[in-house]
Order: sequence, then structure tokens, then C-alpha cells
Amino acid sequence: MAAANEVIEIEGLTKNFGGFQALRGLDLRVERGQVHGFLGPNGAGKSTTIRVLLGLLKASGGKVRMLGADPWSDVVELHRRLAYVPGDVSLWPGMTGGEAIDLLAALRGGVDERRRAELVERFELDPTKRGRQYSKGNRQKVAIVAALASDVELLILDEPTSGLDPLMEAVFQEVVGEVKARGVTVLLSSHILSEVEALADRISIIRDGRIVESGTLDQLRGHARTSIHAVVQHLPGGESEAAAALAAVPVLEDVHLDGRRLSASVDSARITEAISALTGYGFASLTVAPPSLESLFLSHYETTEGEAGGAK
Amino acid sequence: MSPALAGTRPLLTASLKQEARSFAPWIAVVTALSISSIIVYPYAFPTQADRRQLAATLGANPALSLIFGPARDLSTAEGFNTWRALALGGFITALMAIFAVIRATRAQEDSGQAELLASGVLGRSARLVVAVAMASLASIVLGVVAAVATGLSGSNWPDACLLAATFTVTGLMFAAVAAVAAQIGSDARTASTIAVATLGTLFLLRGYIDTMNLPAWVAWTTPLGWMEQTRPATENRWWPLLPGLAVALLLSVVAARLQGRRDFGQGTIAPRPGPARGKVRSTTALAWRLNRAPVISWTVAFALLGSVFGNLATSVTSLLAGNPAAANVLAGGATAPGALVGSFLVTILSLTGIIAAVGGVQSMLKVRAEEMDDRVEPVLATAVRRPSYFGSNILIALAGPTLGLLVAGLVIAVMAGTADIGVSFGDVLLQAVATAPAVWTVTAVSVAVVGARPQVKIAAWIGVIAAFALTLLGPTFKLPDWALGISPFWHVPHVTAASPVWSGLVWVSLFTLGFLAVGLAGFRRRDLAR
Repeated sequence: MAAANEVIEIEGLTKNFGGFQALRGLDLRVERGQVHGFLGPNGAGKSTTIRVLLGLLKASGGKVRMLGADPWSDVVELHRRLAYVPGDVSLWPGMTGGEAIDLLAALRGGVDERRRAELVERFELDPTKRGRQYSKGNRQKVAIVAALASDVELLILDEPTSGLDPLMEAVFQEVVGEVKARGVTVLLSSHILSEVEALADRISIIRDGRIVESGTLDQLRGHARTSIHAVVQHLPGGESEAAAALAAVPVLEDVHLDGRRLSASVDSARITEAISALTGYGFASLTVAPPSLESLFLSHYETTEGEAGGAK
Repeated sequence: MSPALAGTRPLLTASLKQEARSFAPWIAVVTALSISSIIVYPYAFPTQADRRQLAATLGANPALSLIFGPARDLSTAEGFNTWRALALGGFITALMAIFAVIRATRAQEDSGQAELLASGVLGRSARLVVAVAMASLASIVLGVVAAVATGLSGSNWPDACLLAATFTVTGLMFAAVAAVAAQIGSDARTASTIAVATLGTLFLLRGYIDTMNLPAWVAWTTPLGWMEQTRPATENRWWPLLPGLAVALLLSVVAARLQGRRDFGQGTIAPRPGPARGKVRSTTALAWRLNRAPVISWTVAFALLGSVFGNLATSVTSLLAGNPAAANVLAGGATAPGALVGSFLVTILSLTGIIAAVGGVQSMLKVRAEEMDDRVEPVLATAVRRPSYFGSNILIALAGPTLGLLVAGLVIAVMAGTADIGVSFGDVLLQAVATAPAVWTVTAVSVAVVGARPQVKIAAWIGVIAAFALTLLGPTFKLPDWALGISPFWHVPHVTAASPVWSGLVWVSLFTLGFLAVGLAGFRRRDLAR
């Protein structure tokens, strides 16, 4: 049965704050054992979705199930089985990091002492400093240790590594890799594309309160456009006429011709057609680049006209 | 302009735009306090006999002069206004100034906003100067508004202007006190505690001096005493304002010196490392941990307050004996001298209870602050039910003030019980215990607000403000019993009376339970951090 395998199941989720609609019919599925990348521009609704999953906000409409239960009404039972790292960790100013870790772990129902000690060591965290003394990165580490030291089925990470240095970022990726090997499901909201690329099995992209794209990285790449850069050998009828002719080729888009330098983009599934259409011009050099993760996201993040006024 | 002050003007303009609105309620309250006495006086006390009786009863009550100062002349509306508004109006203005300065200095450093500003073209002293200038400006506006409104309400203009000037000068002094406190405490909470404690101590000291029969020069020993020595409506002396202005200037200079010598974000007390492992493992332990420091300092403050009140209680018979008119009127009303002392105890313990409830409301507002600072989120993301989190905080918010009230009651009981004034140790302690349910009701109002409608945070104070106004100011307005009965403290039984009425506490407690239920239900249902 497929449903039993779904750790997070969201259908048509909406959430309104007064007149502002933060989520407008969001669908999201995360399967057991998956690391699911959750991406989107600022203000798209990532944190709102996560807060609904944590039972901190009440859904205005739609269906939300997590670990087979309702995140709003079955809070305690669910929260024993999950751990959460917020993107902007705020610690109690007078409490040390060590005290905060122990408090959060105790409230969740216990801590794995060996793992706690190991994580404090690996993240080079000084647990004797007070909340107000920690830098942003160190506050983040406190929350990461507190979450990862517990034995849970699901980790909800909301931009967990913001403020970490590259060394600690590497440790984090290593640790999440180990967690995943234990079969833990992870919902990872992040802006750090290399992190997502390294960890995520599947990715969902949210914009303006809706999922606009969901799939494996390869599937997402398949939908995106490949870029072509070439230096052509001859331009029949001169530069301007050639430019007009190239722009008229149906598979090519974003055509720019500067002297003999040509750049264009093409649907990744139609590269062969594009190259055949260009062979007549002859190539002095040719680069066909698969879409980078950056260009992939940029194409999804960019707000198309008419929608620009919708976001806050 | 000196480099230390670069950027002061644009920052001041921007800050004023931002903060101007937050001053309005303070200005409104002080103005209302002042004009209400002028407007109400002719109706509440129409005849000379009424006025003489007012002077003999409320005007001679030592518990009231602790708050209001001595009543010099209650036979005119202006004299009545001076008695009611001078000390209290100054106190409120001082609070406004303190909070404005701390917000613009320490609170900004805590939140990181100041770092953004300090990285701009801004002199080292500019932020402090802006903070003090803004609070001073607000105090001046408050004075002008209060003076004009009071004058238009029918007061003598010279009396109204001098009275309002004492508000302004008190505001200026405590803006400077707060500026110094902001350099000493290394975070906003410590800084405002230092400044408010200074204000409270000076206020209490002034009240104590006014109440006891001390030599005249002693009244000049405190800054708030100077304000009182202007004696609006009787002698109208302006010159005692001058030492107040001098103190404001001096402390501002000290604050600027201190600021010039300290590191950004640091205070005089360096932080030390703490424990690597935690013992706080439940929501109740967390609530206690977060409220521990304020509860302990409140309790110490209540022991002190108790000793002041206790001292007052031991001399209450001699104080009243020195005022035959008061004793006459009170005794003439078929009141035995023992009962007179009894109702005096009720007043001071109610007063103690209202002050204690302030601590309870603060604990509840801390829950909201924790929520808005995203610190409730990680706690509720663990296996914690919302009602148990909220309930733990309610427990502390009710227990803290109860502890304070009982400590003060105990100290008063010890002192009153050993002096020969006709009440026993047990009577006083029982009276303190009987006052506790009223404290819970007032605190429970804030539970309901924080639980159900935290967006209107200011409403959390309604209980305290209403109780204070009705219990202390209500009788000066000659309000009818049903109106006075809105305050839960009106229902506190007089345990020394022949047959104390205990049933009032049942009604009061029903309201408490209602407020708690609203708060719990609201907190369970609403979106967090909105």
C-alpha cells in the first residue's frame, strides 16, 4: 500500500492570515526514508508549511497528514517521533547551550547520550556559553545537536545551516547522510543548492504558496532548458539577416548573436533538433551545457508578469 | 557638529516618527488623571462640609499619603488635583521616559538593530543622545498637553502649569537615570530593572518620609521630594524644579561618559561560562527558570515593602491620634478603633496585592515575548501539549505574586503583632491570605489576554489598572459601591470585622476560573507567533 509509505501527505493546503493568502492549495508528498528538498524564494510559504506540519498554525483548508496522524490534533504523539531545526534559532538568553539541548531533548522524551556527546564534539560546540553570547552559527549548532541527538523518525529542517561555516556545513551534510542511512525521513528546506544536490532524493519547489515543480533532480533537469554556446563559421546574408533566421528556428529560444558568437537555450528533450538546425552554420566551437541547479531554480523562482503583485 | 554626535539629527527624526505613537497612551493617562480631578471635584464634593470630611478621612489616611504625598489643601479643586496627581503623574511620566530610553538604547543593542545603525555614519554618542532627547521631548509634550488640558478644564493656570512642570522634570530626571542604567546593565531587561527599581525605591522613600512625622528638611533628601516641595495650588514655588534639572543634566553627562568607555553590546558585568548540562527538564521547570530572577527580586522587594508598611502600621494609632479630625470622623461612623486599624490593614494589603499582580502580569507577558522571539516554537515542536506549557506559566504567574504578598504580609504581621495596636499576628497574616484570591483575578485577566487575544497586549494590564484606579482613586471620586465592586479587592473580607463576609471571594474566584479557562482555550486554538 502506497499510503503507508507516505510520511508527509499534504493535499490542497491553504492558509490565510487575515486577507493575505500565504498558501494557496499546496500539495506535497514525502515518502519514508527520503530526504526531500523543499525549495522556494523568500516569502513563498516554506516556513508557513512547516509550521502547519508542526501544529503551530492551523490549516485554513485542505488535507494534511503526517506519520499517519493529524498534525493539529495529535501534537504530542507526533512530536515524540520528530525533531525540528528552525532557520533562525533563538535561545533563552540566560541559559547555556548545553541546558537548552537537554531541555528540548527531555521534553521530546529523552536523549541518546552517546550521540549527544558525539555531536557536540563533531560540531565543535561549546555548551557552557549562554544563549545571548552565541553567534548565529553557534545558535544554529545548538538546535541541530538538540534535534539530531534524539531518536526520531522524521526530521524537519528549516534552512538548518544558515550561518554555518563551510567546515560545519560539511559536517552537517555528513551527519544528515548518516541519519538517512538509519532510515530517517528528512524534510529539508534550504537555499544552499549544493546541500540540496548532495542530500536530496526528491525536490519540491514552492512559489506563491503552491508547489510549482516536484520530482527527482534528474526529472527536474529534464524539464529545464539546456544552454548552447557556439562560435559559428559562416553567417549567410550577413549578421542581421542570420540573426533573424536563427530567431525564427522554433526549438531555439533566447537567441543572441554577437558577431559570430551565438548563445541560445533549448528544451533538454530537443537538443538533437536544435543541433541539426544549426549544423548549416558550421561550428568553430560548441558547448552544450545541461542546466545548472542555479539556472533551474532561477527559472522557477522568477516571477512571471502579472503575478508580481501577489507576494508580500 | 562634533564627530561623536554625527547623524544625531536624522536619527532623531526617524526615531520620533517611529516612536511618537507609543507615547500617546502615557500622555493620555497623565492628562486624564489631572483633568479628572478638576472636573469631578465640584460634583463629588460640592459643599465645604464635604471637603472638610475629605481632608479628614482620605486626606489623613497614612496609607494614601504613602502613594499621593501629603494633602496640603483639599478645599480647592487645584489643591485636590495636586494631591491626587503630582506624585502619581510624575511616577507615570518617569516610567514612560525610562522605557523610551531603554528601548532606544539597550533593547536596540539586544536586537541587533543598533549594530546596523552604528555601522552607518553615526557618532558614538548619537544613539544615546537621541534616546534621551526623545524621552525628554516626550516629557515636555506631556507637560504641555497636561497643563493646557487641565487649564481648559477649569483649573487656575499657574497651578496647572506648575503641576505639569513637575511631571516634565520628573520625566527628564528618569530619562537620565535610564540612560545610566542602560550603560550598567548588559541587556534591556537588566537595564530597565535597574532604572525601575531606582524609581520605585525613590518613590517609596518619598512616601515613607511624607507619612512619618519627620523634620521638615528630610523632605528635601529625595529628588521626588523636590517635586513635591513646589507645592502647586498652595505656595506655587518654581525654584525646587532647578535641582531636578541639574540632576537630569548631570546623570546624562555621566551616561555619555560611561557609554564612551564601554564596548558595544557589553555592560559592566562580564558574563561567565555556565553549566554544560541542564537540569531543566519540564515546562514547569522552564517557566520557573525563566521567571526565577524576577520572582526572587520581587520577593526581596516585598520584604522591604512589608517592613515599610509594617512600620507604618505600628505607628498608625499615633498617626491618627495626631489627627483628631480623622479619628473623630472614623470613630463617629460607629467604627471602633480596632476596626480602624483593621481597615488600614486592608488598604495596605490590597495595595501590596495590586503591586504583586504587576509581577504576575509581567510573567504572562513574558510568555508572549517568548512566543514572538520564536522560543516557544522549539518547545512546542517537542512532545509538549499546549495546555501544559501554558498552564506551567500560569502556575508561576499566580504563585510569584502570592509569594510576594505573603512575604510582605508576614513582615507586616510580625511588626504589627509585636506593637500594641489591637491586631494580632494571625489577623494580619489571615488578611494577607484573604487578599490572594483578588490578586489571582487581576493576574488571570492577563492570562486571558495572552491566551486568547495577545495582539492587544496592553489589555493584559486592564486588571491591574482597574484595581488600582478603583481601590485607590475610586473613593476619592465617591464612586458608588457597584462601581467600586468591579475591583476584586473590594470583595476582600475584613478579617478583624465582627462577622467577615467571605462569600465575596467565591465570586471573585469564579471570575478567576473564567479568565483562566478563556486563556487556556484560546492558547490551545490559536495560531502561534501571529
